[in-house]
Amino acid sequence: MGPAVDSLRQTMEEAIGNGDTRMVINLAEVSMIDSSGIGLLVRFLASTKQRGGSIKLTQPSKFAVQTLRLVGVLNLFEIFDNDDAAVESFA
Amino acid sequence: MTTEFSGGPDNSALSELLDRNMPANSEAIATVVDAISETLERLEVPEQKRFEIALAVQEALANAVVHGCGNDPSKQVRCRVKSDPRGRIVIIVTDPGPGFSPAALSDPKRGENLYADHGRGVYLIRQLMDEVQFERNGNEIRMWKY
Repeated sequence: MGPAVDSLRQTMEEAIGNGDTRMVINLAEVSMIDSSGIGLLVRFLASTKQRGGSIKLTQPSKFAVQTLRLVGVLNLFEIFDNDDAAVESFA
Repeated sequence: MTTEFSGGPDNSALSELLDRNMPANSEAIATVVDAISETLERLEVPEQKRFEIALAVQEALANAVVHGCGNDPSKQVRCRVKSDPRGRIVIIVTDPGPGFSPAALSDPKRGENLYADHGRGVYLIRQLMDEVQFERNGNEIRMWKY
C-alpha cells in the first residue's frame, strides 16, 4: 500500500500502454508484499496474459513467497533466481 | 488457520506495549508498523513472527484507513499492542467507521477472485495470526500471535 504500490502501478500501466506485455519484476528489495501489492500483480498478470504476455518474478524474499502462497497466487507466477533467466524464458 | 470468538485468551492482566493514534492516511501506516516492529524486536520476538505480525498490522491498518475512515485524514485510527503473562501478543486496531460483517467476505482463493485486485486483507490476517476477533460491529479487530 502507499507510494511503493502507486509507483509500481504507474510503471506497469505505462508499460502496458506502450504495448509491453512481457515483464520481469525483481522483488529482491521487497521484504514484505501486502494484499494491495498482490492485487496489483495478479491484475496486471491477467492483463498481460490476455495480450499474449506474462509477468515473471525474480528473487522474491522467503517471506514474500510465503505470502503469495498463503493467498493462493504463488502458482500463477513463474519465479526465477535472476533476471537473465527470466528474460530468456520469454524467448 | 484462526478461530473467532468473543473474549479471547487471557484478556485480563494484559500489559500495554504501545498505544498509537494515527490519522486515516495510508502514508501514516508505515510509521505505526515500524514502531510495532521495533517494539517486538526489543522483546526479542523471532524475525519470522515479527514479519507475520507486521504484515497483519499493515493489512488491518489499511482496512481501517480505507474502509473504516474512507481515506479521510481528519479521522483517527487507534492501534494498541499488548502482551499477556505468557508472552502472547495482541494487536488491537480500532476505527470510527460503521463496521462490517466479516462473514460476508468472499473467499479470495475461489474462482475469479484469484485474479481480483482486492479482497485478500482479512483472509491474509487470518492466515498470519493465531486468533482473530472482530468486535464493535467489525470496526475493531483483535489479532493474537502466540
